[in-house]
Amino acid sequence: MFQDEELIQEFTVESRAHLASLESLLLEIEGAGDDFDMELVNTVFRAVHSVKGAAGFLGFTAINSLAHSLENVLNLVRNRKLRPTPEIVNLLLNASDQLRDLVENVKDSNQRDIGAWVEELDAISLEEPQREIAFTPINVSQSPAEPTDSKVVRSQDGRVEQPSVQVRSKPSDTSIRVHVAVLDQLMNLAGELVLSRNQLLSAVAAKEREGLEAIAGRVDLVTSELQETIMQTRMQPIGVVFGRFPRVVRDLSRKLGKQCNLVIEGDDVEVDKTIVEALGDPLTHLVRNSVDHGIEMPECREQHGKAAEGQVRLRAFHQAGKVCIRIEDDGGGIDPARLKTKAVEKGIIDTETAFSMSDTEALRLIFAPGFSTASQITDVSGRGVGMDVVRTNIEQLGGTVDVESVLGSGTAIHITLPLTLAIVPSMIVACSGERYAIPQANIAELVRVTPADRELRIGNLHGAEVLRLRGTLLPLIRLRNALGFESTTGSNPRQGHSNILVIETGQLRYAIEVDAIHDNEEIVVKPLGKHIRDLGYVAGATILGDGYVALILDLVGIALHCNLRAVDMQDRTSGSESVVNEEVHRMLFFKNHPMEAFAVPMAMVARIERIRREEVKTVGDQHILVYRGHSLPILRVEQHLRAMPPCEPSEFEYVIVFRVQDREVGLIAPVLGDIRDIHMRIDSTTLREPGVLGSLVVDGETTRVLDLVELVRIKHPTWGVEYQARQSESRTTPPTVMLAEDSDFFRSHVTRTLESEGFRVISASDGMDAWERMQSVFQEIDVLITDIEMPRMNGLELAQAIRSSPSTASLPIIALTSLASDEDRKRGSRVGINEYQVKMDPNTLVEAVRRLSGAIS
Amino acid sequence: MNSTQTPYVTFRCGDSLFGIDIGCVQEINRCLSLTSIPLAPPFVRGVANLRGDVVTMLDLRILMEQPRVESNIHQRSLILHSDGETFGLWVDSVSDIVEIDSDDIVSPPSNIEPSVARLVLGVYSHDSRLILLLDPDALFATTVSLER
Repeated sequence: MFQDEELIQEFTVESRAHLASLESLLLEIEGAGDDFDMELVNTVFRAVHSVKGAAGFLGFTAINSLAHSLENVLNLVRNRKLRPTPEIVNLLLNASDQLRDLVENVKDSNQRDIGAWVEELDAISLEEPQREIAFTPINVSQSPAEPTDSKVVRSQDGRVEQPSVQVRSKPSDTSIRVHVAVLDQLMNLAGELVLSRNQLLSAVAAKEREGLEAIAGRVDLVTSELQETIMQTRMQPIGVVFGRFPRVVRDLSRKLGKQCNLVIEGDDVEVDKTIVEALGDPLTHLVRNSVDHGIEMPECREQHGKAAEGQVRLRAFHQAGKVCIRIEDDGGGIDPARLKTKAVEKGIIDTETAFSMSDTEALRLIFAPGFSTASQITDVSGRGVGMDVVRTNIEQLGGTVDVESVLGSGTAIHITLPLTLAIVPSMIVACSGERYAIPQANIAELVRVTPADRELRIGNLHGAEVLRLRGTLLPLIRLRNALGFESTTGSNPRQGHSNILVIETGQLRYAIEVDAIHDNEEIVVKPLGKHIRDLGYVAGATILGDGYVALILDLVGIALHCNLRAVDMQDRTSGSESVVNEEVHRMLFFKNHPMEAFAVPMAMVARIERIRREEVKTVGDQHILVYRGHSLPILRVEQHLRAMPPCEPSEFEYVIVFRVQDREVGLIAPVLGDIRDIHMRIDSTTLREPGVLGSLVVDGETTRVLDLVELVRIKHPTWGVEYQARQSESRTTPPTVMLAEDSDFFRSHVTRTLESEGFRVISASDGMDAWERMQSVFQEIDVLITDIEMPRMNGLELAQAIRSSPSTASLPIIALTSLASDEDRKRGSRVGINEYQVKMDPNTLVEAVRRLSGAIS
Repeated sequence: MNSTQTPYVTFRCGDSLFGIDIGCVQEINRCLSLTSIPLAPPFVRGVANLRGDVVTMLDLRILMEQPRVESNIHQRSLILHSDGETFGLWVDSVSDIVEIDSDDIVSPPSNIEPSVARLVLGVYSHDSRLILLLDPDALFATTVSLER
């Protein structure tokens, strides 16, 4: 059979368009019940009729006869001789699926056996006069139209078995429909480009320099516009994917005996064709999940005071240059505790991890490989495709997926996708003289390690290099080594700083060192030739602004190449031996002069106020801010420390308000920075001065950490004395405190604080040291203050030892730690710790010592 | 006997003269700036930007088991097609275009290196010089399979 290829192609495209609308129309007809809109039926009829006509003309007999039978049944409905009951609509839907299947495989459609379908449809149209009166659903339930197990029924009948929907397995379309307006614009732009080229050529020929700039500007403009417009031709409304879900939800809820309504919003949001094509499977899975696991049975919903009909909302919208898709249901929600139990049972996490996991983290367990939430695997959602596959699919598209859930009221899955895959925002890095592109989506952060910091930040564990980052250890790969270049000398070859990127790819998190970090560039991905396509560490290539080719690194490939296993990638928490001292502290950063950065521990900060500059009054040599009916003493960094004043006074300033002893004091912070968790690896010598605890390097910037208590003492030396006088009225002998702390910095800081309050302090360098010293002097000790993370014997072990020895069992214990979550507290109180103090709030610590030592009556 | 004259591009690599059917050659370029590919097979000299396409450059010297040379101004790259892909062949220098009668092509002598023989269609004697005629498809296929 000779056929014009183009004609067939046209037929397929056209029929596909006709049939695509069929499903939603039929569902609408069904939904309306007896008073359905006749116009809808007419539309369906016309669509089927067009397909039939064209198929007949081209000689596709199978399509023609199936469409004909379908048309007959529709005609009955049209003439009100047949009621569109759910059963009838079901049959029509399945028949139209079959029709679509034939259209998709148009070339061999004539070889398909569609006899069963034609028979089924004809049976209805022929025996209609009777059926109109005595319609029995039993009749139809045996028909191939039943969605649940139609295949089985048919094969039992000995009829030819045919899968009902094959559309999804077909390879992605190679042609695309483009709006004429877009095409016109492309033509215009191409014309512009030709014009600019001519100008450029003549300018170059005439060797005139002046005109060149203007032409270059023009070329620049036209090119970027051209690129944008070409990208537009790739954009398709996401509704193409969403369109199939009303049917999915309808069929599934019927099958499960649930009542479920699907609301679709934003189906006109446009995304790249490749994304639209790749979204089908993961979204189908998520929508099915919402119906299957999310929405409860009607009775159950009513018991919980909800409407019997559940709702699944599918929303697409643009946000911050990305496309977001949310699948929300108002079902039962996910129980994080149950997830944890499941995950532990399945060996995905250990009990310890489960214990310290927050609810949000627990919810994300559903994306872990090998995790299925349904206690029984249903044939609906548990078909071997888990949420981990969904996550992998989405991540392959350069997107992310997250889950939110409120137990009892519903679950939302949130997907974020890039607008297009063809252009990838990337970071250009250099290694061994070549440049490489790393997709920004994979970069969590950039870390710059100065030579001074290198010892501290880069560790070596049995030959494996690790980066210490905020209390976690990340495997460190040197790109130079990974790519097989000889590393120059030793392990720290270079004198300058190290440029490190923290990479996040799904489950892998690691650090990679490169020679230099250049710039961000929006790169266009180009395929690589056969010889180098499968090298493993390259994902493709791109052409940089200067015309050179740069390889795009495949970061998962590099990790595999370097034998990083997923297990290595998991963050090591600060509990492990190697990161003792690497305690995380929340610091507030600010700048006085733009060149000078300062930080104060957040624990000290009561609040931050924004004030007008002129609100600060000068009284004598004091600065005072009158607010809330009080006068607040104000400190300025440059007046008490070796620091430059802020360069340009602005109208507004921030005041960091903190408490020292029983007074409030404000510190002017002209430019506020971040609040960040950082390691307290403080250099307490170089920049030490009264009022400054020491310095640390944050993002390559030396930051001075202020000692607010000391700062106040410099300014108001009499306060401390007055305060002690006030306090000493209520106490007789000064209490003695034993302090177990392994960090020299904290030990001296806490000792100083306590001694300034009049306490006697016996310090010990770790738990073991404290335990040994205690044996001789325990009678003198009123309170023990202990750090938790310490080498040899940690705070918990120390507390346990103390509680189990009769002589010391009643000693009050204060744990001083940088992390005090509820879990920590629970663990602490189990071993007998009386109180938890977060490092480092001197006031509450002193107060606690006083309270526990009985110094306050 | 009908004999056909076909133009061949001839080029040098080491001491030998090679030829390729001009119909297989898309273009001949001066040294394109190459980006080297770490961990790639040795005969991959790098990739180049050929008007927006990224093209793999094969080094004929390495394929002919001769020592690699640094880039110089005489070198040229022949852009060829095979198996739906465009690739480049990096040669020492390009010589003449020679009309070769298909009847005058003889099969390569048996003492030629097997690794080289696989890439050679035949030998043609031209003004007392021998030209090894290369098969572009074999070049491409062999190198892909060599890598495996």
